[in-house]
Amino acid sequence: MIFNESKDVPGNIVLEQAVRAEMQKIFANRIEFLDEYLDASHFSDKEHFRLFQDYLGEKYAGQKLDLIMVFPSRDYRLVTELPDALFPGVPVVFVAINEMEVPEAKSKLGVTGIVQRFDLRGTLGLIMHLQPDTRRIVVIGGTSDVDRATLGRIAEASHALEGIEFDFWTNRPIAELPRAVGSLPEGTVVLLSTVVNDVNGQTFYMSQLAQTLATAASVPVYVLGGWVLGSGAVGGSVVDSDDLGTRAGQLALRVLGGAKPEELPIEVVTKGTPMVDWRALRRWGIKENRLPAGSVVRYRPQTLWEQHRDLILISLAVFLGQAVTIGGLLAQRRKRRWAEAEILAQRMELAHVARVSTMGQLSSALTHELNQPLGAILRNAEAAEIILQSDQPNLEEVRAILADIRRDDKRAGDVIDRMRTLFKRRSLVSDRLALRNLVEETVALVQPDAEARQVKISGQISPLLPAVWGDRVQLQQVLLNLILNGMDAMYAIPKSRRLLVVRVREVKDGNVQVAVSDCGTGIAPDDAAHIFEPFFTTKPNGMGMGLAISRTIIEAHGGNIQAESNGQNGTTFTFTLPGMKPEKSKAGDLPTPH
Amino acid sequence: MTATPPNRSGTVFIVDDDTSFLQSVSRLLRAVGYTVQGFVSAQEFLDRLVPEMSGCVVTDLQMPGMNGLELQEALRRSANPLPVIFLTGQGDIPATVNAMRSGAEDFLTKRAPKEELLAAVERAFDRDAQERHRRERLRDLRRRFDELSERELEVLEQVVQGRMNKLIAADLNINERTVKLHRTNLTRKLGVQSVAELTRLVDEARLFGSPSGNRIN
Repeated sequence: MIFNESKDVPGNIVLEQAVRAEMQKIFANRIEFLDEYLDASHFSDKEHFRLFQDYLGEKYAGQKLDLIMVFPSRDYRLVTELPDALFPGVPVVFVAINEMEVPEAKSKLGVTGIVQRFDLRGTLGLIMHLQPDTRRIVVIGGTSDVDRATLGRIAEASHALEGIEFDFWTNRPIAELPRAVGSLPEGTVVLLSTVVNDVNGQTFYMSQLAQTLATAASVPVYVLGGWVLGSGAVGGSVVDSDDLGTRAGQLALRVLGGAKPEELPIEVVTKGTPMVDWRALRRWGIKENRLPAGSVVRYRPQTLWEQHRDLILISLAVFLGQAVTIGGLLAQRRKRRWAEAEILAQRMELAHVARVSTMGQLSSALTHELNQPLGAILRNAEAAEIILQSDQPNLEEVRAILADIRRDDKRAGDVIDRMRTLFKRRSLVSDRLALRNLVEETVALVQPDAEARQVKISGQISPLLPAVWGDRVQLQQVLLNLILNGMDAMYAIPKSRRLLVVRVREVKDGNVQVAVSDCGTGIAPDDAAHIFEPFFTTKPNGMGMGLAISRTIIEAHGGNIQAESNGQNGTTFTFTLPGMKPEKSKAGDLPTPH
Repeated sequence: MTATPPNRSGTVFIVDDDTSFLQSVSRLLRAVGYTVQGFVSAQEFLDRLVPEMSGCVVTDLQMPGMNGLELQEALRRSANPLPVIFLTGQGDIPATVNAMRSGAEDFLTKRAPKEELLAAVERAFDRDAQERHRRERLRDLRRRFDELSERELEVLEQVVQGRMNKLIAADLNINERTVKLHRTNLTRKLGVQSVAELTRLVDEARLFGSPSGNRIN
């Protein structure tokens, strides 16, 4: 396969691929294609042609070739001289892009070919289709015989368009043209005909010329041949290189199949297809929906999808796989989170229930505690009424009464506040807590109940304790639970021995330990292993949740809780909470006085 | 206000560990006209208890140390079993039943209407006066029975059972005339005219453990 131009000419690449594809349909891989390029557009001197011919002669000496295909342009020595000189007897099939260039339409011995005839009417029709406002068409052509013949045919075709001004620029040196086309007014288009040489005798290659003009022009440029497409021109009604190549391939197959080339007439392909450069359409703002049916749009940038279909598919598959995996993991994680939240919510609910039931146990004692100040208020008010009825009321006394009423009212309010914090349904709140206060408050809360049960509660609280971080209400719940349990345990022993000791002290690593010791009946060794389990209870009406909840709460605070027997003398429940590092003392923060 | 000023001797002894409540009740009762003494624990009150103290006790039910019920029990065993009115912060049913069974005069919540409290105190005062009167009579009777000799008591025991002199004489292995002499002496010492009167006196003094009519032979 010998090409007149370099291997980079887009039209030739399409053409060659179509030829090969067609021939491989029959021969599959049993056919070998060898490509050679004269590159006449870059090296046009006679010496180059001789060197090229010598090179091929040397290169293919002794090689047996079955067919020579020539893709000529302008220089028909590639068809008429070179094969004869180098490969005598080998049949030649040529593929020409301009009918006008083929010197003899008559087949030479051993040579046949296929040529393209410009679809001029089709191209003019496309111009009017895409740009209906066109008033003037500037036709640029050369001065050679081939150029004149082409121009003649354009002139002929122009008669079909009425009212359109045709301007044939044939006498202008090509060098001046870029400037001239750069200032064309709207309503004008340029149609590039063939320019083998211009008025100054300079020769040109169409693809280069088309590019120069299309770049410089202020209006769209149309062309006649498909091989010039891609140079910046809008397009034209051209013979599809694919189609041309396919038919060339079929012709070559017939020759390889034994047909004598000279007996095969030179084929002329005339059927034009509207073909446009997508980039040029964009440049001139021509909408694609203007294109006539069956148009081919070239150089549309492939979408990512088109360019990387497989990669995208694989990536998508991988991505989907990952997404599914990650989604699954996330769903699992969320499920677990939900489950955890659910458990926490249930625990909170249970903690609330336990707290309320603890309150139930305490409520009679608390009623007492409330009725105490309320009763005092009532009695004081009644006394004041009576005093004020006397002839000379003792106002000092009344004043004292009112002060007492106020004090008792506050007392009652405090009781209600204590109850309310316990009853409240709430989420965890973490605060810096002084266990000393917490223990004292809790003991105050159970004091009435303890009195009713004839239990003495003794607090042994170290004066200096690290603060702990935690939820006041929940920790108080634990304390209450342990204290009430301890009092329950002493139900059966003589009153004089009913002593409950609450001890708070700092232990190693700055942790704070709270121990609640009773002198009760103790825990049976068999039960000791189960007391922190849910629903384990030794009390007839027990829910069995108190210690389980206590452990949950303490462990949630980063601590631990345990029970140990005091021998014959009851049980000690101990919980330990991590202590906080002491804050810098206030004094240390003050600036040093000078 | 329809407070009837109690025009009688006696003191309301108030026992409550809650000083605020103690003070308020004391104020009210004083304002109404009672003599009042307050104590912050049952023990403190019992330590000062003497037979001459009359009136009633108003006590809290729940107290550290000795509670209200225990105070009532201690009073009942003492030489001065003053009537007890319980005040409680709550209506504790088992405690109420116990208290009433032990003869509590009244059982009131701390926020009971003033009228209820005053009425309860009045009733307690009445009961204390009656009891005091009864105890006085009993002491007097016992003094009189103390004058009887051993033999006279033996005869008395059989007389109030309605036995004939002859049977008594046989039982005690003495002469029937001697029985008659003992009967004359003991009626004189006791200042009674008839056997019926004698029987009533013996019953009242609970001399022989239980009312004579119920005695099983």
